[in-house]
Amino acid sequence: MARTITFIDAINEALHQEMERDDRVCILGEDLGMGGGVFKATAGLYQKFGEDRVLDSPLAEGIIIAAAIGASLVGYRPVPEIQFADFIGDAVDPILQQAAKLRYRSSGGFSCPITIRVCWGGGTGGGLYHSQENTVWFAHEPGIRVVAPSTAYDAKGMLIASIRDENPVLFFEHKKLYRTAKGEVPEELYTVPLDQASVRREGRDMTILTYGYATTIALEAAEEMAQRGVEAEVVDLRSLAPLDKKTIVASVRKTNRCLIVHEDTKTLGMGAELTAILNEEAFDDLDAPVMRVTGPDIPPVPFSPPLEKFFMVDKDKVVAGMEKLAAY
Amino acid sequence: MATKVGRAAAVAEAPTSRYSPELLLGLYRMMVKCRMCDEKARILFRQGKYAGNFYSNVGQEAGEVGAGYSLRPDDWVAPSHRDWTANIIKGAPLNLCFAQLYGKADSPDRGKSTPAHMGYPPLSVITPASTIAAQLMIGTGVAWGLKRQGKDSVVVAYCGDGATSIGWFHEALNFAGVHRLAVLYVVQNNLWAESVPLRLQTALSDLSDRAKGHGIAGVSVDGNDILAVYDAATEAIARAREGQGPTVLECKTYRWYGHSEIDPAKYRLKEEVEAWKKKDPIPRFEKYLADHKLLNETSKKQIRDETSHEIDEAVEFAENSPYPAPEEALEHVWA
Repeated sequence: MARTITFIDAINEALHQEMERDDRVCILGEDLGMGGGVFKATAGLYQKFGEDRVLDSPLAEGIIIAAAIGASLVGYRPVPEIQFADFIGDAVDPILQQAAKLRYRSSGGFSCPITIRVCWGGGTGGGLYHSQENTVWFAHEPGIRVVAPSTAYDAKGMLIASIRDENPVLFFEHKKLYRTAKGEVPEELYTVPLDQASVRREGRDMTILTYGYATTIALEAAEEMAQRGVEAEVVDLRSLAPLDKKTIVASVRKTNRCLIVHEDTKTLGMGAELTAILNEEAFDDLDAPVMRVTGPDIPPVPFSPPLEKFFMVDKDKVVAGMEKLAAY
Repeated sequence: MATKVGRAAAVAEAPTSRYSPELLLGLYRMMVKCRMCDEKARILFRQGKYAGNFYSNVGQEAGEVGAGYSLRPDDWVAPSHRDWTANIIKGAPLNLCFAQLYGKADSPDRGKSTPAHMGYPPLSVITPASTIAAQLMIGTGVAWGLKRQGKDSVVVAYCGDGATSIGWFHEALNFAGVHRLAVLYVVQNNLWAESVPLRLQTALSDLSDRAKGHGIAGVSVDGNDILAVYDAATEAIARAREGQGPTVLECKTYRWYGHSEIDPAKYRLKEEVEAWKKKDPIPRFEKYLADHKLLNETSKKQIRDETSHEIDEAVEFAENSPYPAPEEALEHVWA
């Protein structure tokens, strides 16, 4: 039975239920055990499953990920947490050089089914080091899934699917969605495919490709523009690696125009790759150049409220982008 | 606690050994095998038989064999780039070890990893990366998993002196200390991290002192004394199996050749190299065995001949093994 719950409750429920179902699932990270996590994503797990399966780690991101990798080699399905994406630097080698390549470098002799939960994103006054997005650092690397759900339903279903997946997964949770994204979520266990984009709104006039919290903004902008007769199709990528090229290309072939919206900085952001894919696979279908509404190329995210507002994509910026694309 | 063990002289005077002949000869055979395989691997590289590079372990066999010899099939090994022979010690078929050098389809990773970066999943030898000390962290994670499973298996994780400077070494030791994990960190201190001398690597004299800062056991031994290494390793492994936690075992030794086969190592003094070659762990152990009437010129030659024959067969196997099909590059990226 479904009830309306928040994104963070969906995460919490997925962890509770999957840990009950499968005793190979264990979690580790900073402050997530006795403290229940800085956002309470892991609340109640320590009390229910104990220190053996819910481990407060030393303050060292490298070993958080590497310990998870090692445990996965002996049969566990660890779900390590990086408290803020801004702190992932120390774990880049374990993630990119170890987790993403273990299967490849052993030709399948070893595999690494870990799900790394990462809290990311701006818009909450977190400043330079509690707001960053670094999804594309990892989406660039073959061998590790990068997913970023935008709804409570997907948060639960994709987290369960990630834990059950044989590949390492980086599971990006936008902190602004934690308590603002609410939706119907089934009480029971279910999975949402990890390699499929989702068409959140159908439309004929243009495609908006987006992900994460920006999906919410894109949908609001699309509704406003619909009042003015521009019907946008909003595609929530959900998986940033691998990309669901089929859904992306099919939508643009239908609408013939594409606006990419992401919170991340512009240069070499996800929009660059999406544009290249459309050049390669839908060039003849485009009636206008692919356009982007993104964060500016400045260190994300400056603190002072007007500075943060300047950085973040919002409805007005997306509407302006849609107007420009529609008028081309 | 860091202690120094210098016992070779005392042992040499002993009329009878406290070790079984099987163990002593087994250790010897394995050291000879590692030495001969390594030297063969160097020759083959210089002959242009395989691409990439090779990171020789010659000179360091006592540490390599002494630490790895007594492992059980269910124990894990986390090697570095210089520990190709750790696979041989764990029991990986020699044919596959040489196929690894050649990047052939019969190598355990079907040619994906470079020659010395060999792992062997059936015997739990983790395929290494080149990023220094990463294997120590993953090995530590394995030990965490093994502990949670209630197993008494251990992990032997090898590294060099340079690896003790990087943060991941310390993250691994710290975590292993907190959870009293069954890991033996074998630090092959060969005095040179590629071309950087130890004096520019650390202010420490004994790298086992690194253990103190993490509240775990540390011991430094003469890394060219196979029995000193064996004793320290078996003691540490026994304690680890009983749940008494990890140990850092520093083996003071020397890398005879360059960092790799393309490094002539001109940064080192000839006198230093020659002095260390005189401390070769193999003749030293041969003297011990001869003193104990366990080895003579005939049996020595026989062991070398047998090993040589085995190596020739492995090289032939590797040369006859096909290369992977180019499209195999696309395989095993995703599950």
